[in-house]
Amino acid sequence: MTTIRTFMTDDHRHCDDLFAEAEQALGSKNLSAAQAAFAHFRTAMLAHFAGEEKTLFPAFEECTGMRMGPTQVMRMEHDQMRSLFDEAADALARGEVEDYFGVAETLLIMMQQHNMKEENILYPMCDQHLADSAAQLVAQLEGELTEA
Amino acid sequence: MQALLSFDKAPPFAAPLRFFLTAPIFAMLAGLLLAWSGGEMLASRWMPDLLAAVHLLTIGFMLQIMLGAMIQILPVVAGANLARPLRVASWLHGGLSTGAILLAAGFWFGQPALLSAAALALGLSTFAFLGAAGRALSGVPSTSPTIRGLKLALGALAVAVLLGAVLALALARGWPLPIMHLADLHAGWALGAWGGTLLAAMAYVVVPMFQLTPGYPARPSWWFPGLLIALALTWGAAVIGESEWGIRAAQGGMALVGIAFAVLTLRLQGQRRRARADVTYRYWQLGLYCAIFALFQALTATIVPQLAEWAGWSILFGILMVVGAFMSFIVGMLYKIVPFLAWLHLQNAGCVPAPAMNKLLADAPMQRQWQAHVLALILLLGAVVLPDLLARLAGLALAVAAGGLFYNLLAAVRRYRTYLEAAKTR
Repeated sequence: MTTIRTFMTDDHRHCDDLFAEAEQALGSKNLSAAQAAFAHFRTAMLAHFAGEEKTLFPAFEECTGMRMGPTQVMRMEHDQMRSLFDEAADALARGEVEDYFGVAETLLIMMQQHNMKEENILYPMCDQHLADSAAQLVAQLEGELTEA
Repeated sequence: MQALLSFDKAPPFAAPLRFFLTAPIFAMLAGLLLAWSGGEMLASRWMPDLLAAVHLLTIGFMLQIMLGAMIQILPVVAGANLARPLRVASWLHGGLSTGAILLAAGFWFGQPALLSAAALALGLSTFAFLGAAGRALSGVPSTSPTIRGLKLALGALAVAVLLGAVLALALARGWPLPIMHLADLHAGWALGAWGGTLLAAMAYVVVPMFQLTPGYPARPSWWFPGLLIALALTWGAAVIGESEWGIRAAQGGMALVGIAFAVLTLRLQGQRRRARADVTYRYWQLGLYCAIFALFQALTATIVPQLAEWAGWSILFGILMVVGAFMSFIVGMLYKIVPFLAWLHLQNAGCVPAPAMNKLLADAPMQRQWQAHVLALILLLGAVVLPDLLARLAGLALAVAAGGLFYNLLAAVRRYRTYLEAAKTR
């Protein structure tokens, strides 16, 4: 059975791939391809955040009673990343590649350290506490992520 | 569970920052010692002033940054929060700095009292930190190779420091111990079991994170740290059992594990998907090649021990390992971590949007500092062969490269403070 951890971690890697596409397009100086790839990445990330905020986190909070704990921090980091997406997309729209690199660097580390906390700490906790409903949650998340 | 509840509490910037800012000063001091002493310092690995310089680098620079970064990293990668991180940082920083100075001075002036005091300061501060980290980590499950690696590395640090303290006290009090074997063992635990395991545990996280490479394959990632520790234990047992053959087998085994790890990392870096070769990537490439070279050297010496009779042999190994490999890995990471933390703390302080990382520390000064580091390394390696001609120059070059690092980090912190003030008055 696919665990919450495996499923969500795979989606993180999928988003990383999309981020890398934007990087590589810029590496070969193709601005419009980079813009398209970044838009794609942003959509996938926003869908991932939405799946967590609307489905996974509420289930975790319901089960553990922890409403102001780790999920709250994850939500705050989502907001920080959302504003970095805006800044990066804006820099690309203006064709300011240097500005994009600066924001992308920040975004990349922000995103990876966030993913690490989820993959190593929060998702294993979800699997542990939500063992009974994990299969159903994964199916639901899968539906939400493919819709996007 | 306890750990999870509070994994949001990133320690204040001041906690890790003090370590990052003072470490380059110790590396500068090491360079200046060499510039002062000149070629004589490189006559043998047992020269007191060389031992002083080596420990300024390994304790004053390396250990300082490793433990400072640990305060930052434990909550993020393991969800393990140190109680009162600022207080821990404050006494640990004081203990390590004092200990490094005392130890260097003890070697330099040949003062037994200073060596004993150094053993006490370093032993107490490291073990107190290990206690605090142990409490934070207790009950944290090893859900990733990084978490397990960190735990094993901390255990290895205890052994490395214990051996170091015993050696310092043995020198100070003339205890009848096999100093040479113990010194090798101490170096093996410090650089291999502690340094190597910590590096691997961190690399699992930062290589994919900074360079967008594929992740490390799961199986070797779980094995590397445990294997290094097991081999270091074997080495220790062989020293106790006075088995020359056992010592060499364990040393060779550790070298092979290290080479395998470095080659794997090089292969992963070859698949990186970043648009540009940034300075962190360059530092890591340099570090990996130096590590492979040094470890091949170590491996060769286990097969042909006569090679190590040349006085320059171990010095060459030390330069490649400490300045070429570990310093390069560390500086490469600092150039990402410091601007990122500055950004994060600005963001959390309400400076929104915070300036991007390259506005806090631009690429050009980092590239210049990287060039200075490469030049210093080349001169140091040259000085092993031509000590009279190159040693002083190499020492100065090392001091300049470390000074450049200090300047770059300080400039980033100043920009951070300027933005912070501006955000407060807004």
